[in-house]
Amino acid sequence: MGERSFAEDVKQLGYGRGQTLRGEGILAITKALLQSGVSYVGGYPGAPISHLLDVLADANESLLKPLGIYYELSGSEAAAAALLGASINYPVRGAVTWKSVVGTNVASDALSHVASAGVLGGALVVIGEDYGEGASILQERTHSSALKSSIPLLDPRNTLQSFARFVEEGFGLSEACNEPVFFSIRIRACHMRGTLACRDNVRPAISMRSPLQAPSFSLERINLPPFTYAMEAKKFEQRLPAARRYILERGLNEHRPGTEAHLGIVMQGGLWNTTVRGLHLLGLADLQGRTPVPLMILNAIHPLVPEELLGFLRGKKRVLVVEEGMPNHLERELKALAHEAKLDVEIGGKEFFSPHGEYVPALVVGGLRKFLVSANPTAQSVTAIEDRYAALTAHREVVRAALPEPVSKRPPSFCTGCPERPVFSAMKILRTQDPSVGDTHVAADIGCHTFSTQAPFNVGNSVLGYGMGLASSSAVAPLFNKRVISVMGDGGFWHNGLTNGVANAMYNRQDSVLVILDNFYTSATGQHHNPSTGTNARKEPTGMTIPQALRGVGVSWIRTVDSYDIPKMIGTLRDALTTRAKGLKVVIARGECQLERQRRLRPLQRTRVAAGETVVQPRFGVDPDVCTGDHSCMRLNGCPSLTLRESPDPLREDPIAHVDDTCVGCGVCGEVAHAAVLCPSFYQVRVIANPGRWTRLVDRLRRAVIGALAPA
Amino acid sequence: MTDSGLVSLLIPAVGGQGGGVLSEWIVEAAALDGYRAHGTSIPGVAQRTGSTTYYVELVTDRDATEDPAFSLYPVPGALDVLLAPEFLEVGRMIEAGFVSPARTTVVCSTHRLYTIHEKTATGGAIYPRERLDALARATARRLVAFDALSVARERGTEVNAVLLGALAGSGALPVGVAAFRNAIESRGVQVASNLKGFEIGLEMARAAAASSGTMSGPGANGGVSGTPPGSPDSTESLRQRRVRRDFAADLGALPDAVRGVVEHALPRLVDYQDAPYARRYLTRLRPFAAREAVGAIVARHLATWMTYEDAIRVAQAKTRASRFARIRGEMRAGDAVIEVTDYLKPDLDEIWGILPHRLVAPFARWAERRWPHGRPTLGQHVRTTTVSGYLRVWLLARLRALRPVSWRAHAEHGRIDRWLEAVERALAWDEALACEVAQLARLVKGYGDVRRRLAALFDTGLALALSAGEIEARRRAGFAVSTALTERFRTLVLEGPDGETRAAALAAAANAHVAAGDLDGLHTLVTRSAAGIG
Repeated sequence: MGERSFAEDVKQLGYGRGQTLRGEGILAITKALLQSGVSYVGGYPGAPISHLLDVLADANESLLKPLGIYYELSGSEAAAAALLGASINYPVRGAVTWKSVVGTNVASDALSHVASAGVLGGALVVIGEDYGEGASILQERTHSSALKSSIPLLDPRNTLQSFARFVEEGFGLSEACNEPVFFSIRIRACHMRGTLACRDNVRPAISMRSPLQAPSFSLERINLPPFTYAMEAKKFEQRLPAARRYILERGLNEHRPGTEAHLGIVMQGGLWNTTVRGLHLLGLADLQGRTPVPLMILNAIHPLVPEELLGFLRGKKRVLVVEEGMPNHLERELKALAHEAKLDVEIGGKEFFSPHGEYVPALVVGGLRKFLVSANPTAQSVTAIEDRYAALTAHREVVRAALPEPVSKRPPSFCTGCPERPVFSAMKILRTQDPSVGDTHVAADIGCHTFSTQAPFNVGNSVLGYGMGLASSSAVAPLFNKRVISVMGDGGFWHNGLTNGVANAMYNRQDSVLVILDNFYTSATGQHHNPSTGTNARKEPTGMTIPQALRGVGVSWIRTVDSYDIPKMIGTLRDALTTRAKGLKVVIARGECQLERQRRLRPLQRTRVAAGETVVQPRFGVDPDVCTGDHSCMRLNGCPSLTLRESPDPLREDPIAHVDDTCVGCGVCGEVAHAAVLCPSFYQVRVIANPGRWTRLVDRLRRAVIGALAPA
Repeated sequence: MTDSGLVSLLIPAVGGQGGGVLSEWIVEAAALDGYRAHGTSIPGVAQRTGSTTYYVELVTDRDATEDPAFSLYPVPGALDVLLAPEFLEVGRMIEAGFVSPARTTVVCSTHRLYTIHEKTATGGAIYPRERLDALARATARRLVAFDALSVARERGTEVNAVLLGALAGSGALPVGVAAFRNAIESRGVQVASNLKGFEIGLEMARAAAASSGTMSGPGANGGVSGTPPGSPDSTESLRQRRVRRDFAADLGALPDAVRGVVEHALPRLVDYQDAPYARRYLTRLRPFAAREAVGAIVARHLATWMTYEDAIRVAQAKTRASRFARIRGEMRAGDAVIEVTDYLKPDLDEIWGILPHRLVAPFARWAERRWPHGRPTLGQHVRTTTVSGYLRVWLLARLRALRPVSWRAHAEHGRIDRWLEAVERALAWDEALACEVAQLARLVKGYGDVRRRLAALFDTGLALALSAGEIEARRRAGFAVSTALTERFRTLVLEGPDGETRAAALAAAANAHVAAGDLDGLHTLVTRSAAGIG
């Protein structure tokens, strides 16, 4: 499972005291879970935290089982959050993980209940913040969820050692305040490579090897009135105060005094690296981040500790808050604190940076400069800061002068040979050839297939949540003059789509068409196993299938089509859109994720060719003197290996189509040209390596005959 | 960042290019050489063919006792090395402000992976290489640029390894060459091939450093500006020479700019049909031949149009011996056996296109009414490397003798004549307008419905040019508006289907002005359209 093999990482997870782990931030976090003595780990994969689940899946047999740790790849973030239920009644530590903010949204119901009932054992939620550049999801702050549910939120400084420390502190904090704790980590921090001085892994006292003996019951832990009232009170009277005490006593936040005592910068721990680099570039910090400007690094951003912050604010004239995203909870709480304490300090934040968006260096350096110049630090003259800033930005003029028009954008798309692409080729061809049927509303979904909304397909009118494609067309369908189409991947189907989509549509007797893209994995997260993959993340057989599940909720119109068979797909879609049969029509497009397939096939074929075995490798090509360069094929396909090249014919001005050597021979380009009646330029070549004697003989005869006939 | 004790390096890659491996090698090499280094990345969703970036920092002081506050991001204006495995990404990073003349060394491959927007236009929409080249030269402190992809392919290695070598050879990092080699070995993947690529890149960068310092330039670029594998082979050159000899007198009479085109055109026409057909071409070209600008355009498009791709032409192209040789070469088949299957799907027009006009014209007219879009087709997968499959296509190519009287010939030559008449008429008015009218022929391409759609737009454009020209001719104040209008119409169509819709709308609006004799209105319309309004 997963995009890579993690043998090396699994080995490092077994390290003990005195050994040094080398790897990415997310691996350090994973290691710290084992060093904290967790009894269970689960989660739903997604960038940037997939690696945690992948590496533990690979470590299950060798490392987790011997320690008695239960591991699962949960069915959804809601299921993962509910896993924390174990820590409500029993003193067991556990961790779950997901991509936020979307995962946190899905998990909200269970999460609120856990946070209300409270936990006995430490419960940690590793939140992969998919925010800013490279994010694939909508942009919101997890901070607000933490606030509403009174869940402490850690946002530590970005070094591997700090990640490990705060995972361990997170469990301590959770147990001190009886609340689950969020541990937030950003994309780049997850992927940052560094080193970690390890400690020994801790064998949990309660585990699959030394299981619980008796159930624990307490009405006070049941989320029903009147106990819910008591729980609410406890949150604010006991749990959050306990959390504040822990944060203070353990020194989770870092106060770094400096000689510029009238100034101060308060920041989220996760923004420390960027902030001190910014100060460094402006001449106000050394490489390690030592600076005359006093800093307050909040590794715990919820709950804030008033006395700690007031201590920092007291005696200062100007304070800058470096806080990413909106609403700006930290800045507002700081201002309120200063106001209540009647401190004469000017607190600023968003106005120096940006009200929204990722705090990238250009933004942070610009904001720091604005703040410092206006606050007039003593140690460094304003001119020196301005000179350094000018040196950083002088080249922008050169670039502007040399760049007459914007450089082309490069939107992401389907991989070479992807089985989902031909389905959208079919939908686009049907839309063009038969608009009365095919030009209809398409409710897209989350997954690799969301790229259908991008060029060249532009198929998909809305994207509304994972597995929510069908549900999101529930009101569109009855209001439309023809049948509408909804799309779902197999990942989305099992995550949410079966219940909220299919069962809901059946229950409400919807008359519409659902296309399920079954590529055998949850590919968008990194080819993770899902219920219909055949085995779970622990490699145990599951025996669940999509058609079975559909029939189980009463769907009778089900057609399964090979996703590469474009004519059949067009025909089936047309049937589904025009049949007199009422109700939900489901078309399952089946084809294995090509990334996963190639990862498996390529090494195998290399070995077989080397061993002298006969291997047939299909590839596609374009005849350069048949292609006229109208590029219709690209508009219905968009395969990365179907590209352009200059026409060998000097009389032709426009570039022609060309299949480059990254082609995996899936045949979609030829099928598209065929189904849309584009041109006769495409051909398939079967390259037969190490052919047998008979094949060679036939080939020689054929070439003799053809050679005699063929003109030069 | 030499002044602050840090060196920073950014790798902008295209998802699937293996930027991760490249950055891991660098971090590993730095560590092996005793430097504190770290790297990070944002693969995320862009992993699927979008842009991805990888970032590395190392501390130049090997004796440093504590880690710096590593940055997770490159800082615009404070980047030391841009290492790019694709050329457009260099442009995109320059645009984003990461390359500064004061400090950034750019080590990159000049090959291109085209974006979807470059690929989907009907015409040519590739971001101009010269512009990227000029941009890189203007903004990089040092530029080490060459086509690492073609180097890697020629020598049987990987782009990333070649680039790693070039990075090592550029001296932009303090890391020693041996450490890079060790990093490749310690990662243990395809070590031999990667080490080979590394040495090649190292050598190239060192040679560049010894000479001018940069190695970029159109000559160093492959890809689109290089020689494509499908270029005319030696037999064609031989044929070309023979044809050139036969037509020496005609060629000698032409001005240089036109002759250059005609020299390519004549062999193509002889190959397509016969020598008399080539003579017919020359006769048609004659009225324009003396005017170099319009003559060259007509010569070019008349040649491609007169060799329109009917089923016979396709069969010709698919059965040449040189075709199979080309395919073997492209597939690097070596001693492997190859089997070729052609995807052929002629529609009704193309099928009776090869039959005599007199015979099928009535049916064609009926079919046009019956199936205005999407004529019935005859789809087939023909295995042209088998004897029977080859024979089917080969026999089709033998029908060349029927071509001059075919239904398709009748239709194509009729349209060609209308085009030439229009160019001639425009030429009587104004050469610039005539050039634009001649350029409209660029729209006629594709097969089946695509070609019918584009030909209809061509007809619209032709009528538009002439009617607008007519008005300007009456005013006697030049032909700027009709020239600009015709040019704009063509540009829009070549943008792709959305452009086609806008071109049709432009034509409709223009025709209304023409009908009203409103030249000013027409002028405003063209100006607004060119500015992207309306």
